[in-house]
Amino acid sequence: MKKRVVVFLMTAVMALGLAACGNSGQKEETAGEKQDSKEQGSTQGGADIEGMTFDELKESAKGSTVTFYGWGGDELLNQWLDDVFAPAMKEEYDITMERVPMDIDQVLSQLSGEIQAGEEDGSIDMIWINGENFQSAKENNMLYGPFVEKLPNFEEYIDTESEDVTLDFAYPIEGYEAPYGKAQMVMIADTAVTPDLPKNTDELMEFAKNNKGKVTYPALPDFTGSVFVRNIIYEICGYEQFLDMEADKETVKEAIEPALAYLRELNPYLWNEGKTFPESSTTVDNMFADGELVLNMTYDAFGTSIKIADGMYTETTQSFQFDKGTIGNTNFMAIAANSGNKAGAMVAINEMMSPEIQADRYDTMKVLPVVDYGKLSDAQKEAFDKVDLGKGNIPQDELLSKRLPEMPAELVPVIEEIWLEEVVGK
Amino acid sequence: MRKKRISAANIILACFVFTILLPVAVLLLWTVTERWAWPDLFPQVLSMRAYEGVFRKRGMLSGLFLSSIMISSVVAALSAAIGTMTARALVLYEFRGKGLVHFLSVLPFMVPATVFAMGIQITFIKMGLNNTVAGVTVSHLICSLPYAVRLMMDGTAAIGDRLEEQARVLGASAVQAFVCVTLPVLVPVLLSAFSMSYIVSFSQYFLTLLIGGGQVRTFTVVMVPYLQSGERNIACVYSVIFLGVTLEVFGVFEKIADRWSRNLDTEFYA
Repeated sequence: MKKRVVVFLMTAVMALGLAACGNSGQKEETAGEKQDSKEQGSTQGGADIEGMTFDELKESAKGSTVTFYGWGGDELLNQWLDDVFAPAMKEEYDITMERVPMDIDQVLSQLSGEIQAGEEDGSIDMIWINGENFQSAKENNMLYGPFVEKLPNFEEYIDTESEDVTLDFAYPIEGYEAPYGKAQMVMIADTAVTPDLPKNTDELMEFAKNNKGKVTYPALPDFTGSVFVRNIIYEICGYEQFLDMEADKETVKEAIEPALAYLRELNPYLWNEGKTFPESSTTVDNMFADGELVLNMTYDAFGTSIKIADGMYTETTQSFQFDKGTIGNTNFMAIAANSGNKAGAMVAINEMMSPEIQADRYDTMKVLPVVDYGKLSDAQKEAFDKVDLGKGNIPQDELLSKRLPEMPAELVPVIEEIWLEEVVGK
Repeated sequence: MRKKRISAANIILACFVFTILLPVAVLLLWTVTERWAWPDLFPQVLSMRAYEGVFRKRGMLSGLFLSSIMISSVVAALSAAIGTMTARALVLYEFRGKGLVHFLSVLPFMVPATVFAMGIQITFIKMGLNNTVAGVTVSHLICSLPYAVRLMMDGTAAIGDRLEEQARVLGASAVQAFVCVTLPVLVPVLLSAFSMSYIVSFSQYFLTLLIGGGQVRTFTVVMVPYLQSGERNIACVYSVIFLGVTLEVFGVFEKIADRWSRNLDTEFYA
C-alpha cells in the first residue's frame, strides 16, 4: 500500500510534467475548424446590423452572451474582466460576458477554420488583437467592419485623428478595430544595484560591460525582445526611414546594418555571452526578479509599481527610457466576421472605451488609457488625475512625450529573421 | 545476502522519494513567494496573493474540476475496457493481420503529438465533433489507448487463459469464466491502465484546446496560461491543486478497486 502511494505520487508529478511540456507545440497549428454548438441568443445577419442605430443595437443585444477571446496569462487583467467588467455589462446592458483565454494564433486559426467551413453563427465575438495579426486577419476578411464610427464613446471620447487610433503598426485600421489600451516599451533596473541608468546606446554598452553576463533580452520573435531590438535600431539608424520602407530583406538589412553591428558588439558582454537568449519575456522578467539579470524590459509601461506593490520587485526598482524615446503602440478590440452576436460585441466594445471603464483600468492595472484627456469633462478628468501611479514609474506626460511609432507590421518578421541570422552567437 | 539487497532497494527507493518530494516542497514554498532573489536561502518576500486569487475563483474552479474529472474518468473507463478487449484479442487469439493490429495499437505513441492533433482536428471538423465534449473525449481516448493496451497486454499475458479453461471445464459459461475468474485477477493491472489513461487525459492541453476550441474547458486549459505567463506563485498554486486533486482521485480509484477484488491480498506488480 505504501509503495502504491509512492507510485501514485510519481505518476502525478509526471503528469504535471506532461501538462507543462504539452504546451510547447501550441504555436504550430493548423487552420480549419467548424463550429456547431452555439448558444447565442441573437442571430441577426450582418445586413440588419448595418442599418441599426446604437440604441437599437443595445436593445437587440439584451440577454445575449458575448465571447471575448484573448491572451489569458495576466491574472490581474483576468480578474478585472471577470469581477469588474462582466458585472458592469450584465447590470447595464443585460449582456453576459464570457472570457475565453487563448493565444492569438489559436484564435485566428479557429476563426479561419470556422469561416472556411461556412459557419455564420461563429463562436468568437470579440478579439483582443493588434499588429501583424490584425493585418493578416483583415486582409483575409476575417474581421467585421467598419464598425467603430457607430460607437458613441469612440466619437465622443477618443481622438479619432491620432495615429495611435488610425494606424496599427503603420497599417490603416479603417474602422475595423477599436482601441483597448496603450502600451510602451520601458526598461527596468534596480537603482540600488545599478545607480546609473543608460540613456542611450553608448551608455547601454558601458552598462553591459560593467555588468558582464547580467544583461540580455528575450530571443526574437518574442514581442518584447523584438521591440527592444527595434528600439536599438531607432536609436542608431533613426526611425523616419522605416515608416515607408519596403519589406524587402536586402533593403531592410542594409538599412539596419549599423544596429546589427552594435548588437554583435554587445553580445560578448551579455548573459551566456550572447550565444543564446532567454526564450521569452516572462523568463527575462523572472531572471530579473531573481537578481540573475540587472536589466529588464517590458511593454507594460506602468507595470513596475504593481510589481513593487506585490513585492516581486524591490522598492528601489525604477523604469526608464532612452532620451530619444521608446516605441509605443496601441492594442485593440475587433469583431469576428462571422460573430453570432455582433450587436453585443459592439455594445461591449463601446463600454470598454467609456471614460469610467478606462479610468478604472488605469487605476487597477495601470494601463495607459486610450481616451483623449482633452475631450473629458472635469469630473471625468478628476478620475484620471487622482490615480496614484505608485513607485518606480515614469510620469505619464514624460513617457508619452518620448513615444515613438511602431514600424510597419510587415517589417517586423523580416527584422526578426535577420536578427536570427546576423546577431545570435556572432 | 538477502538483508543487504533489501537495504540497497530501500536506498534506491529513498532516492526516488527524495527526487519527488524535494520539488514538491519547493513548489509549495513558491506558492507563497513573491521574491526569492539570489543568493538568499529563503524567500525575501512572502504573500498570500496567489492563494487569494485562486480562492476568489473557487466557484468557477470547482465546476471546472467536476467537468475535467468527468471527462477524464469516462476516457479512462472506456480506455480500460477497450484495452482489455484488445489485449485479450492480441494475446490469447491467433488471427490474420495480428501483427498489423498490434502495430496500429501503439501507433499514437510514435506520431508526434502536434502532427497527430492537427490530423485529428481536420477529421473531427468533417465529422462535426469539434467544440463538443464528445469530440474531446474521443480525442483523449485515442491518446490514452496505447498505454492501456500495452499495460493490459502484459497483464493478460501473465495470467494466460489456463484458469479460465479450468473454469470452463468445471461448467462455467464463457462470460462467467471471464467475469468470475479472470477479471478479479486482472484488477491491479486494470487499475494501472485506468490511472494511466486518466492522467493522460487529465493533463492534455494542446489537444483539448484544439478540439474543444475554447468552448470545452478543462482544468489544464485554464492552468497552462499561468504556467506560461511567468507568474510563478499562481502557477505553483495551480500545480499544487492539480497534484492534490489527482492524488485524491487516485485514492478513490484505489478504494473502488480494493472493494472489487476484496479477496485478493497479493499485489500484482508490487
